[in-house]
Amino acid sequence: MNALVAVPRLVWKAVTLPPALLLSLAGNVLTALVQIWANKIRSLLTVLGIIIAVMSIIVVVSLTQGFGDYFTNFLRNLGTNLMVVYPQWLRGPRGEWLRPAELTVDDIFAVDRLSAASRRTAPVIFMQGTVEYGRRQLAGVDVRGSSELFQPIRNFYVDEGRFFSATDVDAAMPVCVLGREILRKLECDESILGDFVLIDSQRFKVMGLLEAKGSFMGENQDEIAVIPWTVALKMYPERRNYMAFYVEAMSEPQIPESEAQVTRALRQRHGLGPGDADDFGIFKQDQILQEFGRVRTVATSVLAGIVSISLLVGGIGIMNVMLVSVTERTREIGLRKSVGARRRDILLQFLTEAVVLSTLGGAIGIALGYSICYIATLHPQMVEVNVPLWSVALALGFSAGVGVFFGIIPAFKAAILHPIDALRHE
Amino acid sequence: MITKADGGAGRPVIELEDIHKIYRVGTELVRALRGVTRTIYENEYVAIMGPSGSGKSTLMNILGCLDIPTSGAYRLAGKDVSRLSQSKLARIRGRKIGFVFQSFELLPRTSALKNVELPLSYARVPKRRQRAMEALKRVDLLDRYYHHPNQLSGGQKQRVAIARALAQHPDIILADEPTGNLDSKTSEEIMCVFDSLHADGQTIIVVTHEDSIAARCHRVIRLMDGQIVEDRYNVASDSGAYEEAGAGTVHVGAAEGAGVA
Repeated sequence: MNALVAVPRLVWKAVTLPPALLLSLAGNVLTALVQIWANKIRSLLTVLGIIIAVMSIIVVVSLTQGFGDYFTNFLRNLGTNLMVVYPQWLRGPRGEWLRPAELTVDDIFAVDRLSAASRRTAPVIFMQGTVEYGRRQLAGVDVRGSSELFQPIRNFYVDEGRFFSATDVDAAMPVCVLGREILRKLECDESILGDFVLIDSQRFKVMGLLEAKGSFMGENQDEIAVIPWTVALKMYPERRNYMAFYVEAMSEPQIPESEAQVTRALRQRHGLGPGDADDFGIFKQDQILQEFGRVRTVATSVLAGIVSISLLVGGIGIMNVMLVSVTERTREIGLRKSVGARRRDILLQFLTEAVVLSTLGGAIGIALGYSICYIATLHPQMVEVNVPLWSVALALGFSAGVGVFFGIIPAFKAAILHPIDALRHE
Repeated sequence: MITKADGGAGRPVIELEDIHKIYRVGTELVRALRGVTRTIYENEYVAIMGPSGSGKSTLMNILGCLDIPTSGAYRLAGKDVSRLSQSKLARIRGRKIGFVFQSFELLPRTSALKNVELPLSYARVPKRRQRAMEALKRVDLLDRYYHHPNQLSGGQKQRVAIARALAQHPDIILADEPTGNLDSKTSEEIMCVFDSLHADGQTIIVVTHEDSIAARCHRVIRLMDGQIVEDRYNVASDSGAYEEAGAGTVHVGAAEGAGVA
C-alpha cells in the first residue's frame, strides 16, 4: 500500500479505536513491560534523557514555587501595601557623590496630610547599634527609630508587654521593644520586661517583646530593637535632615496613586523643577516581586532549555531503541501477523511499548526529582519546598507525549512490514 | 481436473483457479506460479513438495493468505480471499488458518499458554484461557502450560506451536517444514500429532522436501517451475479412501503447463 495513504489511515484507525480495544491495550502494556524488563540496562540508558528532563521539571518548578511562596510570605510579614521613602544621595557636577538629599520630619508630616491614598505614615530611622544587658552585650543590632504606627504598618506586633505609645513618642521617652533574637543572644528570658538595657550606651526601659518572625534569606528579622524616633533623633541629631519613612497605601490598587501623591508632595516641598530628578527614592514591595519575577523567568527559560534538549535527546533515544527493537523482533512481528494481528495491532503494540518506556522514565524522573527536593529541604536555611501536583502531571504528560511522538515512526515501520518478509527475516 | 477419490466425501476447503504469481525482482519479472488449479477437500492430509524455486513457498504463502495472487481465484471455505485487503487477510489468517513453522516462532519470555492464546486475543474471542488449555491438552502439554519456550525441548516447542495453530479451530493447518529443525525421533513424535489431528477430521497441508514425511500424507502435490507436475494419493495404511492417481496428474500438470505456455 502506498505509504502516503497508509500513514494517515493507520494513525486515524489507531486513534478511533473502539473502547473494547482498551482491554487489549492492557495486554500490550504487559507485553511492553516484559520486553522492557528483558532489556533492563538498555531501557534504562534509553530513558536517561527523559529522566533528566522530568527531574528538571520537578526540581525547578518546586524550587521556584517554594521560593515564590517564601517571598510572598515575607512580603505579607513585612506589612501589606508598604512603601519606604528614603533620601537619595546627591551627585556633584562630575557625578561624584556629595551627601544625602534632605528629608525632614516636616516632609513626612506634609505627606501624611497631602496623600489621600495613603492610610498612614511613620518616620523611621535605620541604625545599627549595640545592646547591653547586665554584663552581656550584642553589637550590630538593627535599631529602628519609629512611631507607635510601626506595629500596624510593618505588621510586626508585640506579643509580650506593650508597644510604646504616641505619648511616649511625643515625650521622647527612653523606652524600647526588643525582638526575640536579641533575648536569645543576650541569654535572658522574658523577665527582661520592665528592666533596663543600654542601646548605644543610653538607658532604655524594655516595654515589650516583638513576636518572632524567623529569618529571611538567612538574615534574622528578630534581631531588632525599636525605639521612639524622637529619642533616636536626640541620640543622633545629624539624622534629623536625612530621615526615611514608611507609607502604607489604603489598598493594593491604590499603591500607584499613593506613590504619585507622595512624589508630588515631596517634589513640591523640595522645589524640584520638571527636569530635575527625584531627590528621594521609594522602595515598594513589588520591587522584590519584580526581582523575583526576573529570577523566575530565568529559571523558567533554563528549565525550558534543559527540558526541551533532554526531551529531544530522550525522544531520539527512544526512537532509536524502538527501531532496533523492531528489527530484532521482525520475526515476532511476522508471527503475530500470521496469527491474525492487523497493522493497527502491531502499530499499537509498539506505540504502547514506546509510551510505557518513556512514561517509566518519567516516573523515575519524578522519583528522583522528589528525592532531590527532599534532600534540599534538609538544609536548615532552605525554604519549604513542596512538589506541586500539576508539575507531576505535566512531567508525566510530557514523557508520554515524547513516547507517542518518537514512537510513531518505529511503530509504523513495524506495522507496514509484510508478513512474508518478516517471517523470512534472519 | 482431480476429483475427490471415492469414499472421501467432503466439501472443498481450498479451491485454486488458475493462480498466477509474478514478482518483480529489480527489473526482472519472476513468474513464481504459472497457473495452479487445484482443490483440496475437508480432512485431507496433503504434502506439498518441490525443489527450491519450484514455487512451493509462494503457493504456501497464498494458501496461508499471507499474500494474494497476481491473477486467479482462491476460495477458502467457499469465500473468495484472492482480492482482500491486508487487514481482511489478517482476519482470515487469524480465524481460518493455523500456521506451524519450521523454527516454531514462539514468543520468548511468554508462557506456553500465552503463546497459544495469541491468535485468540487478536481475534478477541472470549474464554481464551479455556480454549488455549483445550488446545494444549490436544497436544499433550497441559502440564507444561506455564513453561516458557526456553524451558521446553524442540518437540515440545513445536507441539505448543501446533496447539497455537489449533486454538482457533482453523479450517486448515498449514505446516511449513514442521520437522525441519528436529531430530528423527522428535520428527516422528510431531508427525504423530499431525496424524492424530487428521484422524480427528482436521485438514492439514504440510510443505516438506522429505519423502518420509510426504509418505505419511494421503495426497502429495509436487511442484516444479511454478506448476503442479504431480498430484497423487498415497495408498495409506490407515485408510483405503485414497487411491494412487499419479500418472493422471502428471498428465494434467503437463496440460496445465501447456495451457500457460
